Amino acid sequence: MRIGDVIGSVTLNRWHPALAGAALKIVAPLSWENLAGDFERRLEEIVVLDELGAGVGCRLAVSEGREAAMPFYPEVKPIDAYNGAILDTLEYEIPEHLKPKRG
Amino acid sequence: MYLGRIMGNATATIKHPSMKGTRLLLVMALQADGKTIEGDPILVIDQLGARKGELVVITSDGIGAREMLNDKQSPVRWSAIALPDQTTWGPAH
Amino acid sequence: MFIAQVTGSLVATQKVGAMKGFKMLVVEPYRLDPQNRNQLAPSGRSLVAVDTIGAGEGEFVLITQGSSARLTPETKNLPIDTVIVGIIDSVNVGNATVYQKDQ
Repeated sequence: MRIGDVIGSVTLNRWHPALAGAALKIVAPLSWENLAGDFERRLEEIVVLDELGAGVGCRLAVSEGREAAMPFYPEVKPIDAYNGAILDTLEYEIPEHLKPKRG
Repeated sequence: MYLGRIMGNATATIKHPSMKGTRLLLVMALQADGKTIEGDPILVIDQLGARKGELVVITSDGIGAREMLNDKQSPVRWSAIALPDQTTWGPAH
Repeated sequence: MFIAQVTGSLVATQKVGAMKGFKMLVVEPYRLDPQNRNQLAPSGRSLVAVDTIGAGEGEFVLITQGSSARLTPETKNLPIDTVIVGIIDSVNVGNATVYQKDQ
């Protein structure tokens, strides 16, 4: 799973029946540079199906690809990104060469 | 599968039920020189008891993850499948 | 999933059997403008997507990619990796509406 922050939401005007009632969040995935505190470059935002009620500011573990649709097995739904967890803590040490440079 | 370095861990109360009681590790996948980063930060499930700083083999095989968690509906794709004791791979050598 | 705009349509008389009767559209992925995160910006990339819900040129749509594109009753037997699964009504980032479909 990649890590991403919820920054917004999307509503649909029309949808495939498999997406009826789906809550869709806009998530900014985090790179190693971002985890080191450097936000000059950001990855492309993705739209994530959310069944856990994540609000703006929540940090998520996002499941991508075919696995994102597995929570609905044996039903099939055309989903490639799913909120697997709302993180309480994320502890890490970033190697020196990735840390933002001062001055 | 990648060789990666365990950089940290995550905890979550609100999550897909398949992950209940499972450790989540933050892994940096590495390229051949053992320094260049492959891709973005990845959270993997771990049942081996891997610790921060250690090398780990991770796989993106979702079938394996679902078997590990014994849940056909799990959204998990990445898991830790081996902790090398020894490797002739450059940086660990 | 991600946001894209329908930038064109295409007609092909010669196509593999499975694709007969399916509409293909050309779409351009969008992301948040890195300079001004209160608006969407085009990515410059271009993809061909199968349309399951009747999207039209100019509309903003929700796209699913990868093997998940086959996870609908309509597309399960198609050799495709990109499908339109929704037409976007609104995109909200923080407290701002960065896109709203014309009523």
